Amino acid sequence: MRSEKEMVTGRMQYIDDIVMDGMLHMTVVRSPYSFAKINAIRGGLNHTDFNSEMKSFGEGETGEETGPGETMFAGSHAFYAGQPVAAVFGKTKYESEDNADSVEVDYEPLKPIMNLNDSLKLGPVHGSMKSNVLKRTLLGKEFSIADSHIDLSDSFMMERIATNPIEGRGLVCHYDDNKLNVWISGQSMHSIKSGLCGTLNLPPDRVRVFHVDTGGAFGLKGGMYPEYAIAGFASMKYGKPVKWIETRREHLMASKPGRGVRGDITISARKDGKILGLKGKVLVDAGAFGGSIAEFSPRFIGYQITGPYAIGNVYVDAQALVTNKPPQGPYRGAGRPEASFLMERMIDRLADETGLDPVDIRLTNAATEPFKTPTGMTIPESRSFLQDAIRELGYRNFRKPERPGFSFFALLPASSPGEGARIRCSEGKVKVWLGGNTHGQGHEFFVKSLLSTEFRIDPGLITLEYADTDMLEKGEGSWGSRSAMVGGNAIIELARRIIKRIEKEEGHYAPEILLDGEYDEQDFVSYKKTLISYGANLVTADVDTYGNVHVKECRSYYDVGRALVPHMVRGQIIGGCMQGIGQTLYEEISYSEDGTLLTGSISDAGLPTAEKIPEFTVKYAENPSEFPHGAKGLGESPTIGVPTALARAIELASGKRIRNTPVRPDYLIG
Amino acid sequence: MERKVNFNINGKKVDLNIDSRELLVDVIRDHITLKGTRIGCDTSNCGACTVIVNGKAVKSCTMLGVQADGKEIITIEGITQGEELHPIQKAFMERHGMQCGYCTSGMIMTAYWLLSNRKNPSDEEIKRYFSGNLCRCTGYQDIIDSVRHASELMHSEEEKIVVEQR
Repeated sequence: MRSEKEMVTGRMQYIDDIVMDGMLHMTVVRSPYSFAKINAIRGGLNHTDFNSEMKSFGEGETGEETGPGETMFAGSHAFYAGQPVAAVFGKTKYESEDNADSVEVDYEPLKPIMNLNDSLKLGPVHGSMKSNVLKRTLLGKEFSIADSHIDLSDSFMMERIATNPIEGRGLVCHYDDNKLNVWISGQSMHSIKSGLCGTLNLPPDRVRVFHVDTGGAFGLKGGMYPEYAIAGFASMKYGKPVKWIETRREHLMASKPGRGVRGDITISARKDGKILGLKGKVLVDAGAFGGSIAEFSPRFIGYQITGPYAIGNVYVDAQALVTNKPPQGPYRGAGRPEASFLMERMIDRLADETGLDPVDIRLTNAATEPFKTPTGMTIPESRSFLQDAIRELGYRNFRKPERPGFSFFALLPASSPGEGARIRCSEGKVKVWLGGNTHGQGHEFFVKSLLSTEFRIDPGLITLEYADTDMLEKGEGSWGSRSAMVGGNAIIELARRIIKRIEKEEGHYAPEILLDGEYDEQDFVSYKKTLISYGANLVTADVDTYGNVHVKECRSYYDVGRALVPHMVRGQIIGGCMQGIGQTLYEEISYSEDGTLLTGSISDAGLPTAEKIPEFTVKYAENPSEFPHGAKGLGESPTIGVPTALARAIELASGKRIRNTPVRPDYLIG
Repeated sequence: MERKVNFNINGKKVDLNIDSRELLVDVIRDHITLKGTRIGCDTSNCGACTVIVNGKAVKSCTMLGVQADGKEIITIEGITQGEELHPIQKAFMERHGMQCGYCTSGMIMTAYWLLSNRKNPSDEEIKRYFSGNLCRCTGYQDIIDSVRHASELMHSEEEKIVVEQR
């Protein structure tokens, strides 16, 4: 793969850099209304040409989705502003954009449902449903506590956020010789392939998906979208390569945003800070359709709501609710930050109620031995990590009036079900394919580092190849803090199989034998457990008279198992911290009541700039995991720990209770 | 409407027929096929398309191609001397000033402009100059470190030249 040298010289080849002979550019005509009846569509490729329903969407998929699923084009109704209604084509992108004017759509606007209250109150958006409750899961069990001293209830909202990688979505499809070849900016070629096979009704041997250099993703590019199927369909229909490149406005209106979660939480505790029980309602803004991660999100949040704490009674009513917005998608953390925010905010509230130090309450409730929560999650002992974190983050060194926000969390990575990989040694070179595809995390670094150690060869002889579904039979994807952990585990397993084979055939292993020979090993290396790790953050902030928050310091202490590539570990943590700050202070996808998108540019959506950065301190514990390389998950940790610690820092600086993200200046001075 | 333009790009003279509505970034990417300049937004916020026009950093999506007629343009491809990396490029590699690489061309061109104006910028100045270049991966810290490191590398190269001339 191309790497740092190509990045600094402009020689990366991202999806928009691909040009093919006869290539058509596709422009998608989208509904301007959040909810509308469509009386007629004239022009362009539309639902009368292609009327398939979403199949296989990637990250968060359980196979138990009930829908209603999104159709590739809007048919009788448009259910969100930005939903594809038609597609037009041109030899250049200018010509294709011009052709959008040739499409006429007769809309009859309807009153959209733009928030969770209305979703609960008003009649169903979809005629096929009895209410707007898309999915409801009850976790833990009902309880009542007679000897509780304190009962606290509060309600929190984390608004929707766009993933906003600097490169949006994009792909090039070329149907050639009865095979649909697809080059795509992405996190998982195999999930895109199964999505295309499902929506286009093609058998697996007629679809081949190639990864290209990918300019960030953060959950955006893990799975299927209507535009991908439409481009594939168009390439088959017109017999030409078709390119689609998402504009930023399309990204903000029509890609799948993350968060959009409300929690109504009640805790029961003793005066000494021991929490005896937690009851909660978790409501997820699912957007207009099921058949997406929205069906899984509420259950996932409820499952891990007590994080690293041993709380004996838990009962969560978790629901996904339909609104007239794009379907919810995963954004870095995808349920983990939401769960932690609800728990950590309540602990800080309990500290204010009891007068105890919030960190002492965390110590009181941390697990002193492995603990199975009422929701079914088993967490390892957590108190000793918390004690280390308090020391490493220097929490007790602060003296009044200076008081930092502190957070403690459990990271539940998507380590299950493992990952697919292939190692091929030929002509003195070692080539590697991975099921999870890098989009800025530098997979090539850990691949070289791990395999040069296993094989005892020069890392320069090892290359990570661009993913290609014809070269690797089965793969999962790069998300959920999983790639270095389970992708790394998979390549070590395959390398050891090759070494064993050489030992069996040659009597011993030596690097020269490997490099002189021909070896090819591929498999999906299963791992069915959730390998939990712990982390903590400390944040300090000021609030000025205009209500602007200035984050001063952001310190992180995470158990990474083993830092395989220290500069990438540090870079991932700092980058993630900034995303946590972004969520807390600036970022939101918002609409007016009538369903008009208010955040149509990347700056309206609140992406933080360089001027907003605090002083970062990155520390990590290395308590090796059970994997041979010792690594644990990492990528999502900062997006879990920073919003909660920063919310507390703002609370301390402003005296205002922080319940929602983003925290707006007008709230702080209001 | 088609218009004839000529400009100097990375030291080479270019004559082109372009549509008068075409943005400079599209002229650079699609007509001259220098693909290192990126497009990250459609509202001139992100800075991924930053190039140098007559000595100043410009977001090439804010200009029409015809407005660049007769001007001198430098893109990311123009700052390397053969295979020899510019000190800013070396500094970004040594300080890992990128993760996905998509914003990197724009970041480096803004650094090129900053360091041609200010030999030894403070961290605050660097942050201010980069407020028009968005990065979603790095949290900016490694980019700021790279720019500071680049200014040190450029100083030491200048000193080397001075010593050699003496």
